[in-house]
Amino acid sequence: MIAFKLILGNMTPITIAGVRITGIASAVPECIRTVDEDAIAFPDSDVSKISDSTGVRKRHIVTGNLCTSDLCFAATERLFIESGVERNSIDVLLFVSQTPDYVLPATSCSLHSRLALDKHCASFDVNLGCSGYIYGLWLASNLIACGSAKRALLLAGDTISRIAAPKDRSVALLFGDAGTATILERDDDSLPMSFVLGTDGSGQKNLIVPAGGFRIPRSEETAIQTEHEGGNIRSEEHLYMNGPEIFTFTLKEVPGMVKSLVTDYDAIDAVVMHQANKFMLDYIAKRLKIPKEKLIVTLENYGNTSSASIPLALTDALSQKLKNTSLNLLLAGFGVGYSWGAVTVTCGPMVMPELVLVPETAAMQFSQEI
Amino acid sequence: MTKQEFLRELEEVLEADASSINGDETLAELGSWDSLAVMTFIAMVDEKFGVTLAASKLADAKSVGDLIALLEDKISG
Repeated sequence: MIAFKLILGNMTPITIAGVRITGIASAVPECIRTVDEDAIAFPDSDVSKISDSTGVRKRHIVTGNLCTSDLCFAATERLFIESGVERNSIDVLLFVSQTPDYVLPATSCSLHSRLALDKHCASFDVNLGCSGYIYGLWLASNLIACGSAKRALLLAGDTISRIAAPKDRSVALLFGDAGTATILERDDDSLPMSFVLGTDGSGQKNLIVPAGGFRIPRSEETAIQTEHEGGNIRSEEHLYMNGPEIFTFTLKEVPGMVKSLVTDYDAIDAVVMHQANKFMLDYIAKRLKIPKEKLIVTLENYGNTSSASIPLALTDALSQKLKNTSLNLLLAGFGVGYSWGAVTVTCGPMVMPELVLVPETAAMQFSQEI
Repeated sequence: MTKQEFLRELEEVLEADASSINGDETLAELGSWDSLAVMTFIAMVDEKFGVTLAASKLADAKSVGDLIALLEDKISG
């Protein structure tokens, strides 16, 4: 037990050298939902007060059959066009998401085919949300550093709006949808990245969709919507989030994680955390004494986009800078799992396409795939 | 921190009028004790007392007195 505690407390950063991020593209659905529209759906709630706290004014949400894979596909196609990267040079494809196309096969396999990647390319899914982009960067850069791949395509995205109960204030006003694509490649001259990662599965019950897997398969019962605390209405097939518990977890883990990587913000140009909600980000930044002008907050226009939030924030707030210059970034993701991770990375100049807007008609139909 | 100082902090968390809380209220009476208020309260306690309260303990609290009890050794008078 003592040894276990020692290991838990030991947050020595993992350093990975010889890997560079060469491009990031982000895509969102065309359809926008504003806070005024939310207010109509919640006539008995002070939606503007909630919006002031979360920082969310509007969100892009999927309509029809639009899936995370469709958003990631659109982002990747734009990145291929603007970077000139050859499809057959991708050695590994990682799809980080909690909203896949099917129970099986892996969405990465489907995307591999749709993107016309080479057969030598290894493809797999990673089921993580808020921390997922950091885990994806860590996995991809490890694979490159150890020689398993020269070039990796990291896709991260979610369509949480599809599992957020429309009558549950704790989630319905917060989440937006997005898909992103990042290319990493071997570059012996690039500066090392430093990672810290962690897990505490004892918090799983506080951010969960209970039904729809194999523990609690979907049934007539799991579809029944019932009223919970605060008058929120949801079923077991919807996302449940205990905001106060998540905030407590964040306060316990995130400051320590970040401090193990960065204690002085002079050398950091920008801090991009998972865009959980504005109140939380502002408070964490205050605790860590992160200079206000270095904290990137883009919730206003997109909401919380789960695994896509960090790359989407880079596209939204830093693309002009990253196109032309090099920035020292601190990226940190934390949440569902609980799972968390942070990285310091020097990025740019690199390919940063404009935000891609994806119409509902871009959804791949099942009949097209079989 | 004294109890009076704590009550003034709590008023700020709840956006209540100054000196409107005397410490005998139930949380239900205060009305605005929702999840946003709980998160603001957790942040206030974290900042002012250096203590990260477990949200589960707060969920069990029914009165202002229960909140004070959670911080018993840090609130005087």
